[in-house]
Amino acid sequence: MRLPDSVTGSFLVVLGAAAAYGGYILPPVPGQPVGPNVFPLVIGCGLALCGLAIVFGIGHSFEEEEELVPFENGQAASPPPQSKLYGLRALLPPALLLFYVAAADRLGFIITAAIMVYVTSTALGAKWKLALPLAALSPFAIHLIFGKLLRVPLPAGLLPTPW
Amino acid sequence: MLKTLIDAFALISTWEVIIAMIAASVYGLVIGSLPGLSATMATALLVPVTFYLSPIAAIATIVAASSMAIFSGDIPGALLRIPGTPASAAYADEAYAMTRKGQAELALGAGVWFSAVGGIAGVLSLMILAPPLAEIALSFSTFEYFWLALLGLMCATLVARSSPVKAIAGMFIGLLVSCIGIENPGGIPRFTFGITDLFGGIEPIPALVGVFAVAQVMRAMLTPEPPPLPRRRFGSIMAGQWKLTKLYHWQMTRGNIVGIIIGVLPGAGADMAAWVSYAMSKRFSKEPEKFGTGHVEGLVEAGASNNASIASGWVPSLLFGIPGDTIAAIAIGVLYMKGLNPGPTLFTEKASSMYAIYLMFIIANILMIPLGIAMIRVAAYILLAPRSTVMPIIMLCCAVGSFAIGNNMFGVVTVAAFGVIGYVMEANGYPVAAMVLGIVMGTMVEQAFVTSLIKSDGSVLPFFERPVAAILAAMAIGALLWPVMVWVWRKVKPMQTAAATTR
Repeated sequence: MRLPDSVTGSFLVVLGAAAAYGGYILPPVPGQPVGPNVFPLVIGCGLALCGLAIVFGIGHSFEEEEELVPFENGQAASPPPQSKLYGLRALLPPALLLFYVAAADRLGFIITAAIMVYVTSTALGAKWKLALPLAALSPFAIHLIFGKLLRVPLPAGLLPTPW
Repeated sequence: MLKTLIDAFALISTWEVIIAMIAASVYGLVIGSLPGLSATMATALLVPVTFYLSPIAAIATIVAASSMAIFSGDIPGALLRIPGTPASAAYADEAYAMTRKGQAELALGAGVWFSAVGGIAGVLSLMILAPPLAEIALSFSTFEYFWLALLGLMCATLVARSSPVKAIAGMFIGLLVSCIGIENPGGIPRFTFGITDLFGGIEPIPALVGVFAVAQVMRAMLTPEPPPLPRRRFGSIMAGQWKLTKLYHWQMTRGNIVGIIIGVLPGAGADMAAWVSYAMSKRFSKEPEKFGTGHVEGLVEAGASNNASIASGWVPSLLFGIPGDTIAAIAIGVLYMKGLNPGPTLFTEKASSMYAIYLMFIIANILMIPLGIAMIRVAAYILLAPRSTVMPIIMLCCAVGSFAIGNNMFGVVTVAAFGVIGYVMEANGYPVAAMVLGIVMGTMVEQAFVTSLIKSDGSVLPFFERPVAAILAAMAIGALLWPVMVWVWRKVKPMQTAAATTR
């Protein structure tokens, strides 16, 4: 996800301009010189200026390249495969959270959580021998802590818990 | 004074507080020792749990977990050369070199001992600095608060180990996020796009969990698993620490002081304190050539520094609601929820609670020595847990915890969204800590800014008229111009040296 500075900078310019415009069109408070519109206006302008500076590479010399810790005596794991799909794996965690939002009410906490755990665990390289028991047990443990001890109303769904 | 102290003892000597403190300590030690799981993340995931505790017990968990996690990050740093928390990154190489020389006990012992000493020095600074500052702060008007908040935000961008322009941009993004909702001077929905869930604004805690926890799971998806820890038998861990204390007492004191100063600066936390102290130790050492080859001196100073910053980070948090670092930002959220609204009056009206906080910090740092030694001995077993079992549990805690904050699913969506934002920002060199600070302080900055503008009738001059405001303004503007001056200096210096060589 390393994008060139010109791309992120331009995005900030657009975001800043949109924020400034959004602030500008807000209705003022009658009889008062400053209202809710001032702050977004200031921030939007500032953000747009920063974006411009980034596009033109100002301040780039301050950036330190990320220090990679080299492993010694050839301990380094195999170089990660560089296919396009590989990078998309990073989107799995937020996608699973959205899945939780969509499914938890219908399927219930235990089932949804089990699916989340199994998928995350497998994606990180666990064999099914590890992922399956983990997916079976951890939702109950979490439910015990949050649902039972802390009384968070977790959705029961299809599979009501025994307690 | 004595009565407040007795009251404070009564507040913390309940079973709830004691159990909460020990449980949070163990939790902090475990999370801190796992590479990739930072102290901030440990604290952020604790917040939903604190809802169900009494105010003092809630703060106890935060205090204990954050102090322990900062120390425990040293363990994989020394044994694997992979820092458990960013705060240990500065000296992980040095500690690992010591382990290879067969001095793992000395390195880890120095970690425990000087962390505890640093932590206690930090509390002392909190006890000494906070009450007189509260006296001064009582006379602050919105002008001072505005400049103070701005100064805090600028400090956060100065200390980021990245481009200052990107740090300022990150801060603006955070401030923009804080604009969302109806909590603004006009009380009208702003940037809500008709979505009812956005009316209440973006809660800082789910945003923090997303940025620090979900983004970390996302990174884990693309990085190789760290190697397992070689099992080893440890000798005595505390042996030789007293000798080190006597030998390096000046380095230790300097580390404590630097840690305290950096902790008080808003936005700069334990990781910055460790980097600065390690560099300082090398710079002023009598034997700088030994650094990097397994020399304990830098470890002493940086270890004393990063834990000192944890407690002193609470000074601006308790006084002004301006977080000293990201952990304090979370603590502020908890303080508000528990009715201990930060502000100078906290020290007069809720004095016993303040003393209870000091006492808990001291107890946590004393508790760190036995628990830390135990943790070092069992670390090899804990680090056996593969990432594929830890990360799924973290994901579940993110989902359930963010739901629990408001008992609605929108919290989970917020966490997911901020996970992506945090991941993209980090990957492109935008410091997320600056954004977090912007989110936490946004409402306060806006309120102080708009109220000041209304009072001054749109004029800018009154912002500089009061003496304290003028000093704070000069400092904030200086902080803004500092990167520019450094930039100019760097441009001019090579020219001078070039001119000197051609002459």
